[in-house]
Amino acid sequence: MALTLTCPVCGKRNGYEFRYGGEDKGPRPAEEGLTPKVWCDYVHMNKCTTGVQKEWWVHRDGCGSWFTTYRDTTQNLEVEQPEASE
Amino acid sequence: MNRLNQLPTLRIDPSEKLSLKHRGKPFYGVAGDTVATALFANGVRVFARSLKYHRPRGLYSLDGESSNTCMEVDGVPNVRTENMLLKDGMVIKEQNVKGSADRDWLAFIDKLDWMMPAGFYYKTMHKPASMWPVAMKQIRKAAGLGVISADYQMKGQYDEMYINAEVTVIGGGAAGMTAALSAAESGLRVVLLESRPHLGGCFDYRASTISDGTPLYKRARELAGKVEQTDNIRVFKHTSMVGAYNNNLITAFQVGKANDVFAERYIEIRSESVVVATGCIERPLIFDHNERPGVMQVGCAHRLARTYGLLPGSQAVFSVGHDLGLEAVVDLFDLGLKINCVADIREDGQDPELMLALAERKIPVLRGWVAAEAHGSQQVEKVTLSTVEGTVKRQLPCDLLVASAGLTPLTGPFILAGAKMGYDSHTGYFLPTDLPEKMFPAGRITGVNNPASIEASGRLAGLKAAAEADADMSGAVAEAEKSVATLPGPERGCKLVTAPVKGRKSFICFDEDTTIKNIKQAVDMGFDIPELIKRFTSAGTGPGQGGIPGHNLPLFVAKYTASITTPVPTTVRPPLVPTFIATYAGYNHHMFKHTPLHDSQIKEGGIFRNIGVWQRARYFSEDIDCKEEILNVRNNVGILDGSTLGKFRIHGPDALKALQRVYASDMRKVKEGRIKYSAMCNDDGCVIDDGVVVKLGENDYYFTTSSARAGQTVEWIRYHTRFDGWDFALVNLTDAMGVINLSGPNARKVLAKVVDIDLSNEAFPFSGYREFFIKDTIFVRAMRLGFVGELSYELHLPSSYTQAVWDMLKEAGAEFDIRHFGVEAQNVLRMEKGHVILGSESEQRTNLIDLGLGYLWDRKKTDAKTVGAVALHQAEKDAGRLKLVGIRMEDDTRPARDGALIVDNKVRGYVATMRKSFTTGQAVGMALVESQLTDIGTRLEIYEDECKGMRLHAGVVPMPFYDPEGKRMKM
Repeated sequence: MALTLTCPVCGKRNGYEFRYGGEDKGPRPAEEGLTPKVWCDYVHMNKCTTGVQKEWWVHRDGCGSWFTTYRDTTQNLEVEQPEASE
Repeated sequence: MNRLNQLPTLRIDPSEKLSLKHRGKPFYGVAGDTVATALFANGVRVFARSLKYHRPRGLYSLDGESSNTCMEVDGVPNVRTENMLLKDGMVIKEQNVKGSADRDWLAFIDKLDWMMPAGFYYKTMHKPASMWPVAMKQIRKAAGLGVISADYQMKGQYDEMYINAEVTVIGGGAAGMTAALSAAESGLRVVLLESRPHLGGCFDYRASTISDGTPLYKRARELAGKVEQTDNIRVFKHTSMVGAYNNNLITAFQVGKANDVFAERYIEIRSESVVVATGCIERPLIFDHNERPGVMQVGCAHRLARTYGLLPGSQAVFSVGHDLGLEAVVDLFDLGLKINCVADIREDGQDPELMLALAERKIPVLRGWVAAEAHGSQQVEKVTLSTVEGTVKRQLPCDLLVASAGLTPLTGPFILAGAKMGYDSHTGYFLPTDLPEKMFPAGRITGVNNPASIEASGRLAGLKAAAEADADMSGAVAEAEKSVATLPGPERGCKLVTAPVKGRKSFICFDEDTTIKNIKQAVDMGFDIPELIKRFTSAGTGPGQGGIPGHNLPLFVAKYTASITTPVPTTVRPPLVPTFIATYAGYNHHMFKHTPLHDSQIKEGGIFRNIGVWQRARYFSEDIDCKEEILNVRNNVGILDGSTLGKFRIHGPDALKALQRVYASDMRKVKEGRIKYSAMCNDDGCVIDDGVVVKLGENDYYFTTSSARAGQTVEWIRYHTRFDGWDFALVNLTDAMGVINLSGPNARKVLAKVVDIDLSNEAFPFSGYREFFIKDTIFVRAMRLGFVGELSYELHLPSSYTQAVWDMLKEAGAEFDIRHFGVEAQNVLRMEKGHVILGSESEQRTNLIDLGLGYLWDRKKTDAKTVGAVALHQAEKDAGRLKLVGIRMEDDTRPARDGALIVDNKVRGYVATMRKSFTTGQAVGMALVESQLTDIGTRLEIYEDECKGMRLHAGVVPMPFYDPEGKRMKM
């Protein structure tokens, strides 16, 4: 409940205003030739990182933007983008 | 009892009398009294009986750290009456007594303490096992706190508030106020929380003076005046801080004043930095019968006199370990209290000025002495004083024994913020060994007691907190640091843990009746960590939590075990003070949306239900089967408010691409002037939404979603296109547009009287879409749909005009006896047609194919990466799925209930919707059943809870049940 997030449009706001959109797994794979296994992994499997992960959020009670940010899952705090991930 | 009505420190208004009822008798207090002080003023000394031993209990700390003065107030049990301000007409009851608090029949239990060593519950009551339920019942009757009536309803409004600020200051004493003022200098927003109903803290009731001769209470009022006049400081009084979370989120609750709209208010504060200026409570002195009514702490005695104008007794003995105690002796003596003796635990180190003042008043002082036992069965009558070593003893008469071993800093906020606590051997306090980020201590919790030091440390903390919130403070901070360094620092604290006693009746925790002897027993059994001893003996687990034993327990354990060189404190957790669950629950919002036709439908006899986020007219008569409403649509014409439908416009260069992504169908096939029915699936192929799409122009579409889905639609489409960078605008028109549905064979005749366009079946056929104006003013998007299976027009128009058109249509329909129909009638009408409502005919696992809507899915548009397409390919081959079928009961008079199970020797499916169909005379409906049960003619067994083992029977029949060729909606 102490989480705050930085919306690219509205700035730093109360975490209550946002909805989680899952880990960042990259764009949808092409439909042609996709095996159910690969598809299922894309949709349902998560890394559940202990530490900093890139993830999607939507500013549901604000501007409605979808955006990615980095969050330390051990602290439940938004953090700067780690250098290694650039 | 006569009050000292002229004191300048009073926080009561003696001119305003308030009444309360206690033991069935009317008592009187005054404005500003707490319930406890009002009772005290009326001569009440025994407030309650203790949890286990039924010992008499009275005023002790005046800040609610123990359950001593917990009482039932206006039906609410366990109210801390020391913290509850008196309101006129309150009714007070004593808790855990048989008889009254003064004469409790269960008081004999106190003599049976030898039967109840630490952990006796766990050790004795289970042999034999059958004894446990009996024992439990008896113990629960005899022990405990207040009892809440099972049908008690909370009264009052519980509000909530979410604040942003740069600096939060916890504690409105001198340090907190100074910190707030310093932080506010740079224009930052500051929030100041004070748990008492007034600012001032430990200055508020003290008459001693600072260097310029100003009394402390006056200084506190000066500071409070400044604070209240500073625009960027928001002050919350009677507000207890209860939680601290990461990012320095602070939670608190405020008790409402008489004219506030809320009884209590939950407050959540987000700020950059926090100043903790919570001050100190007193560390209880442990000796025999140390909680006898008449024994109280220094602050309690002092504040009773100075804040409430009540002399706490007639002749007193003091047993104290700090200068605040000596200061209170001098002040109370001057106010008229007779003082027989002062025992000071310390051999030396007293403030010489105070010692001089005591000598001037000829008050005998014993240094290195301490109270060892309080005598008197109901109240203190005399006291045995002893040297700290226990070598010499003497007795003195008294009816007031002011006892306090030392001070305890209120470090709860630091512990909640995750600080490690360590024992500080100079002060004897447990203090944070490393400060949490952006959190600063100020005032007495740092160990200082000199008034100037308190203010200076407040200023320093306030400036540091402001600096963390990006104010430029470097110069000011350095200056404040210098001034702190020149003033007296932390004082040496009194280290005495207990008086020289065996401890059978020396209580370390009042709430749970835990004695020193109990702690020794636990240690002797092998418990060595305070955290474990706390749980085994239950010391500190009562309503006051660590308030009484928090400091003493680890000190005593360290002393008794001797093996532990540094005492280890126990952990505190939120909420730091007892809080109503109602306060956390907050305001009970009744938040439902109303359609533009809400008010008129109420007048027209609509019976409303909460459906999703809306309130909708479900019936228009007492007949919940809606026979008349249904038959009227089939045979005449009905009018329905469909405004809850989700309505959206999408336009921009990539609008079509976005629709292709989320809709199962090929949206390129949507033609202007026609509507297209389609559905959206999730990534598992399960249907989440259905609706119609119309093309307004190139890359410009208008579409509808189900009412339940409207809230998530924009988010959904944007989510599934988030990687593509497509350019489209998506507008939610759900609340901007009203929808009127006109259905029935006479619908055309009614509409023709209102609109000018050609409504003939050729000009505006089934599945058509038209735009026109009514009276050259009201823009209408009209669709011909077949949801209810009759000739039907759906008019989408601006919300502001919806009522006007509704009235026109009703007027036009008057000659046909047009009537309303509600959501339930619509539900039956569409069921007869085999049209699904998602959520009724589908659940989370139901995919497009299961519903028989597989034809909507276009397999060729793989480039669109349609949401759900991959899963649908997979599910097509999957045999073990529930499929939607039409069913008819063998007994047409007995439709099965929605949700009834379809069974043989196990569950095979369930009934989705079933009604007695007045149109066909049959009991028909739709069900989701296993795929091997879907053949027409299959006999199904239906189980309902009330059918007592008898199964109902139905057969699978073709759908739709009504007008299978669909002629009527195409009329």
